[in-house]
Amino acid sequence: MTRRRRWHRIVLPLGLVALLLVVTWITSAVDQPDRDDAGFLSSVNTDDDGGSRLAAELRARGVAIERTTSTPQALSLAPHDGFTLFVPAPALVHPLYLPLLVDPAARARVVLVDPSQRVLDDADMPLATADRRWAARTVGTAADGQPCPLPEVRAAGPAAALRQRYTDAPEFGYRADRCYGGGLARSRWRGNDVVVVGASDPFRNDRIDEQGNIALAAGLLSAYPLVVWLDLDGPEPPPPYHPDGDLEPWSPMPGEPNPFDAGETDDRGRNGSEKSGEKPEPSRQAKPPDETNPLWNAFPPWFWALLVQLAVAVVLAMLWRARRLGPPVTEPLPVTVASAETVFGRGRLYQRARAYGPTADTLRAATLHRLLPAFSLPPDTGPDEVTGAVEAGTGWSRADVHHLLYGPAPTTNQELLDLARDLDALSGLLAQNPTDPPRHDRPVQGEAR
Amino acid sequence: MTGRAAALLGTAALTLPLWPAPWLGVPVMVGVLLALVVLDWRLATPPGAIEASRHGDRTVRLGETVVVSVHLHNTSTRPLRGLVRDSWVPSAGARIDFPGAPKIEILPGGRAVLPTRLTPTRRGDRPALRLTLRSYGPLGLAFRQRAEHPATPPWTLRVLPRFESRRHLPEKLARLRVMDGTGVSRGRGQGTEFDTLREYVVGDDVRSVDWRASARRADVMVRTWRPERDRRVVCVLDTGRTAAVRVGDEPRLDAAIDAALLLAALAARAGDRVDVLGVDNAVRVALTGGAQSTLLARMVDALAPLQPTLVETDFALIAGEILRRERRRCLVVLFTALEPGALGEGLLPVLPRLATRHKLIVASVHDPVLRDLTTRSPERVQDVYAAASAWRALADRDRVRTALARHGVTVVDAPADRLASMVSDTYLRLKALGQL
Repeated sequence: MTRRRRWHRIVLPLGLVALLLVVTWITSAVDQPDRDDAGFLSSVNTDDDGGSRLAAELRARGVAIERTTSTPQALSLAPHDGFTLFVPAPALVHPLYLPLLVDPAARARVVLVDPSQRVLDDADMPLATADRRWAARTVGTAADGQPCPLPEVRAAGPAAALRQRYTDAPEFGYRADRCYGGGLARSRWRGNDVVVVGASDPFRNDRIDEQGNIALAAGLLSAYPLVVWLDLDGPEPPPPYHPDGDLEPWSPMPGEPNPFDAGETDDRGRNGSEKSGEKPEPSRQAKPPDETNPLWNAFPPWFWALLVQLAVAVVLAMLWRARRLGPPVTEPLPVTVASAETVFGRGRLYQRARAYGPTADTLRAATLHRLLPAFSLPPDTGPDEVTGAVEAGTGWSRADVHHLLYGPAPTTNQELLDLARDLDALSGLLAQNPTDPPRHDRPVQGEAR
Repeated sequence: MTGRAAALLGTAALTLPLWPAPWLGVPVMVGVLLALVVLDWRLATPPGAIEASRHGDRTVRLGETVVVSVHLHNTSTRPLRGLVRDSWVPSAGARIDFPGAPKIEILPGGRAVLPTRLTPTRRGDRPALRLTLRSYGPLGLAFRQRAEHPATPPWTLRVLPRFESRRHLPEKLARLRVMDGTGVSRGRGQGTEFDTLREYVVGDDVRSVDWRASARRADVMVRTWRPERDRRVVCVLDTGRTAAVRVGDEPRLDAAIDAALLLAALAARAGDRVDVLGVDNAVRVALTGGAQSTLLARMVDALAPLQPTLVETDFALIAGEILRRERRRCLVVLFTALEPGALGEGLLPVLPRLATRHKLIVASVHDPVLRDLTTRSPERVQDVYAAASAWRALADRDRVRTALARHGVTVVDAPADRLASMVSDTYLRLKALGQL
């Protein structure tokens, strides 16, 4: 008992803390807008995770917005000069487009919202992701003790831009401008002007009003009079033509270290160009017969081997447990009948049949049977003599005694119960002046004398 | 295959990330393990090379504990490491009682004794069902186990009835001696037998003076008497459905056996012959009294495995058996229940045949529940109906009793703990009155 309580003392607080952590983590994960959702930071989405308010602010500042839903279209729509390309979900852009995307024109700015390391690698950017916070934090514009080199950012002031921190990739030897403690970085590598923002909060409808969020977002995007807003609904199809002729499957999962590990193979584009005759419906995915399930590649081979070996071990354990040490022993049980079973059964039958009359008769007869010897009366004594004798012996009124012993049959359970109690009381009075021992104590009967 | 093999394989699986070719590692490790298992299996002592025998007590009184041991002899050249299980029926109350059970180790050629303490919970025959031996290899990776290797040494423990009424025996025997000795000069009952002639001493009943013998001798001779001897007592145990009823904590049959044993012990000491019959719809036990010294032991042994069955007792069969076996007049003690259904339809029709030839006692265990129902103050309406039903049952029983008494049958109806004593008292009284 005490041991069990001690166990509780340790487990309960720890369990509560663990439960709290799990609940916090789940609610935070649920609360966090998903960067892959359709309509995330879309200029026409008025939900909490949309960017409609940012678009309205830009229009108010006199900036034109060109919304497109595919990268090639965005690249072709863009004028040669003087525009801002806003990419709210760079993870959805097909990797092959990324190098083109970050360098669209000589005078253009590209704003990427929360690009992962994979995106940065594919885009050939001289940046690397550093630590990531659970939620965006509002910080001042300075980074590493240096003031922010971007004037529009300095004008915006503190904003919720620090979630994913960015550092310089060591292999490039390039030093990017950084603000908000690393949450915002601007790279002019190879002459382009790419701004990466590590948090989507300054652009989102739900948080755009806080601090300098709106000033930061609008300031970043209003450098040129035109914004090309790349609003992708989902993972982008690959380019229709590729010089290598074959494409690796890729994953739109943000933050994946290796884009070619897992995910659905989206080869609609290739079907459309190379195998259009074979699979006419673009909705159905064609799978070449020699292609293996990508799930196999999602984990290293040793993982699958481990699973197989563990399965073999489980089979061995089953074989071990299946052999019992001798069969279970059986034994015919003896016949046992509960005592007075029939008596109780008959009592229940009386009750179900509502046999008030016969029950009362039996009880009265039994009481008389005990009564008559007590008053030294012969068994065939009439009711009047019995009533008189009982009246004399107990002091009960004559009418009561007569009603009790010879009255009408009861008609309800309660009447029957009262009758039984009265008879029992009468027997109890007689038992006080014992004249006759209880009859089952006479063990020997019918003995020849 | 043991848990150790599975655990080994599972643990080895954790090294797979270190293998250069994991898919090669799986068959290699499984193969090596299977090879080890097969090797271990080959090296394990074959269970057939173990010889098993059993020694110990054959009988036990209910409530006592005996030890029955299994002796294992390792005839192989390898040591035996293994598990052993000696299974008895659950009611035998078996408890393995050797250190380290159920693990055993026996060196080559060695012997081991595995005692089992048995405290049976029921009367009757309690068999040992099976001996199972599992022999492990030296690595503990595999075992050999085969049904009936070694063969289960058969054993049956007979659990004798408790015979709690033993404690009444000295008192009854004392009363018997009183009858034997002082009763001689006290009464000349119609059934007492002539014993010897002796010289008259002052105080003898003058009515016992044998004048004819006195005339032959110079002295006044008196006759001495002794109680009847060499009478026959037949205990008939009804093992039908009414005997299965549990009164208190034990079936009616157990109380009846107890009473029959006391009666037999007493009658045997008094010089009467005791036969025992156990009958329901067939004769289950028939024991004819023999030597007085062994009677009780034989009777206990014969009655121990007797169990009630759920059939209607065939009283015609009982009557037929008694009439066939006993030519002389004898005392028939019928242990049954005073139930109007069973006795009214079964016994009463055959009673005249039986009662004219023999003296009959019907002994029944009565149910304290009935008395409880009729004397308790009613709490709920259910109690009223149950009390009425109990009164009906008592009235039925009285009718049966009256019907039996009309045929001169003596009825003994007593609670389970007093039945044996009362039956013996009745026997002694009848004997004293010379009515046997």
